[in-house]
Amino acid sequence: MKPFVHLLRPCIAIVAYALATTASAADTAGITDTAIKIGVMAPLTGSGSSYSKAEIGLDAYYKWVNDQGGVNGRKIETVLEDYACDSTKGIAAVKKLIHQDKVFMLHGNSCSAVAMAIKPVVLEAGIPWVIAHAANGAISSPATKNIFHGVPVGKTMGLAMGRFVMTKPGVAKVAVIQHTDDWAKSYCGPAMEFLASQSIKPVVEVALERGQTDATAQTLRIKQANPDFVIACLYEAETAIFLKDAKKFGLNAPVMGTAGTDLENTLKRVGDLDTVANYFVPHMYADNLDGPRLKRFVDILKKYYPSESVTAFSLISMGGGAAVVEALKRSGRDLSREKFIAELDKTRDFDTGVLAGRITWTAADRDGVKEVGIAGFVSGKPTVLKAWGQRL
Amino acid sequence: MFFLQLALSGLAQGAIYALVALSMCVVYRATTVVNFGHGDLVMAGAFVVYLLVVLAGLPFPASAIAAVALLFILGALIEIGLIERIKAGPHIGFALMCIAVGYLLRGAARAVWGREVLPMPRVFDFPPVMLGELVVTADALVIFSAVGVLLMLFFGLFYRTSAGRIMQAVCQSERGAALVGINVRAFHGVMWGVGAAMGAIGGVLVAPLTLLHPGLGAGFLIKGFAAMTLGGFGSLGGAVAGGLLLGVAEQWVGGYVSTKLIDITAYLVIILVLALRPSGLFGQAVAERV
Repeated sequence: MKPFVHLLRPCIAIVAYALATTASAADTAGITDTAIKIGVMAPLTGSGSSYSKAEIGLDAYYKWVNDQGGVNGRKIETVLEDYACDSTKGIAAVKKLIHQDKVFMLHGNSCSAVAMAIKPVVLEAGIPWVIAHAANGAISSPATKNIFHGVPVGKTMGLAMGRFVMTKPGVAKVAVIQHTDDWAKSYCGPAMEFLASQSIKPVVEVALERGQTDATAQTLRIKQANPDFVIACLYEAETAIFLKDAKKFGLNAPVMGTAGTDLENTLKRVGDLDTVANYFVPHMYADNLDGPRLKRFVDILKKYYPSESVTAFSLISMGGGAAVVEALKRSGRDLSREKFIAELDKTRDFDTGVLAGRITWTAADRDGVKEVGIAGFVSGKPTVLKAWGQRL
Repeated sequence: MFFLQLALSGLAQGAIYALVALSMCVVYRATTVVNFGHGDLVMAGAFVVYLLVVLAGLPFPASAIAAVALLFILGALIEIGLIERIKAGPHIGFALMCIAVGYLLRGAARAVWGREVLPMPRVFDFPPVMLGELVVTADALVIFSAVGVLLMLFFGLFYRTSAGRIMQAVCQSERGAALVGINVRAFHGVMWGVGAAMGAIGGVLVAPLTLLHPGLGAGFLIKGFAAMTLGGFGSLGGAVAGGLLLGVAEQWVGGYVSTKLIDITAYLVIILVLALRPSGLFGQAVAERV
């Protein structure tokens, strides 16, 4: 027995050393003397491709950071991977970024359903992931070791949507139209919870599935209920289809949309201002898109992507980018994933300059941004509002 | 009124399904090939008209005619260049080739317009007609008129002209047609062209109503299959009736049962018809002598 124990000890030591060096190697993957590799997953193709403007904006921001000298002597090297808003492709993209490209961290993803699908892969790998755009709160809540939300989650926006609806004088009847997926529920659920707290129950709830090209039945059912306000938790294409049908059939109630749509693109899609005159969306920025406070960020985008049109998605991930850069700086030259995650968790009231809300991350709460405004058309121009009929 | 409004909208939507189903049926009747890539020809028609209207600045009618003509040529080329070549092989080869061509078209559209969901400018921009409380939208009027005229032309040509009778003859017996000197190969090319052109008309009519993206055709393919199944495989009139019924059924299901079921109505139709009446409403039961 004794000789066996004698042999076992060095074996255990070797295995322990191997495990320790492997863990250490994983902890510093994607870092060289001159670069930090960041994986950015974006829906560059497919029907949800306009969401990728968020990741394009993020890429521009990191390029700008590099031109300012980088972070602690290293440049940020982004690796963009397309997943076309498709869960299977999303899982493949994230596995490629982690295991083939060996990135240091992930900062990406617009489509919530895809983000939920890749979450287990990211958790297993233990790689830091700052969510660039997807709004489903379940991605980052309950808090895990390595996932951080860099934009307001659906719950924050749903509550803001509900609050705004109730600022319209005399609102008693609210209708809801939504997709039947988690993404839509992440907005409409909190909005309806808020309305319930004000003793308002939806007069009608209808579903419009993704990919449908007609919303007649839904529009007519809502019109029958004669609501004072409609809450629409729909993606871009379906929002445009619903708004067009609402106009066709004389449904005149104002419509509260989600941050999955923006005013400029919705106007472009429906083709006339009249159809979107009463359409409102959560607004995540500190100013109007063409306002002075956002000019710096628009200029950054235009510098690196001159032909990119600016929509409400374009700057949304830059706030998370600023928080990442700050945490990287605090982590120092001797960077590791563990140190970086610890620094992210020390982020408190961080003013990104671009988002309406400040970012706070703790080990127990990773929903970083807890404030949003609402935007609607005033005199034909997208305008940030604090309440019905009141500019910010 | 609610009932009628739903029916009217369903008929407008169903007219597009009817057109798609009919175009698939034409190809199936003429060549016995079920074109699993047909939805992408609808998408291609929509994108070509978008290209000509928005990027080339041509008027909508001229663009629509050009799109249909281009898709006719594309359809004929697919048959002559690809389908004809694998005719001696197993039937599964046709299906795979059609799917591959469809995905190729989709991929080409993605390569060009990948990151955008494209809005087509409004072309049917006139106020709706009010019949009491019933709203007949401009879109519905245009679709009814266009599809109505097209169907009359098609059925008139198919059943009332000598060219149509030749088509029927080839559909019934290719060998017999070949023996009396009809160029069956050219006929197949023409019918693929006709099918693609009719699918393109569906795309052209849909383009101003919805938003364009490369995956647009997938939904229409399923609706086309459901309409064909409901009407009876191979029945031209059945495809039209099936499309109209499917459109109305979707609206009534959404209006009276649940809007959540609209999306699966087409699948339910396929399952129910195949389980209960495989020959559909107007198809003929196939009996094999053994």
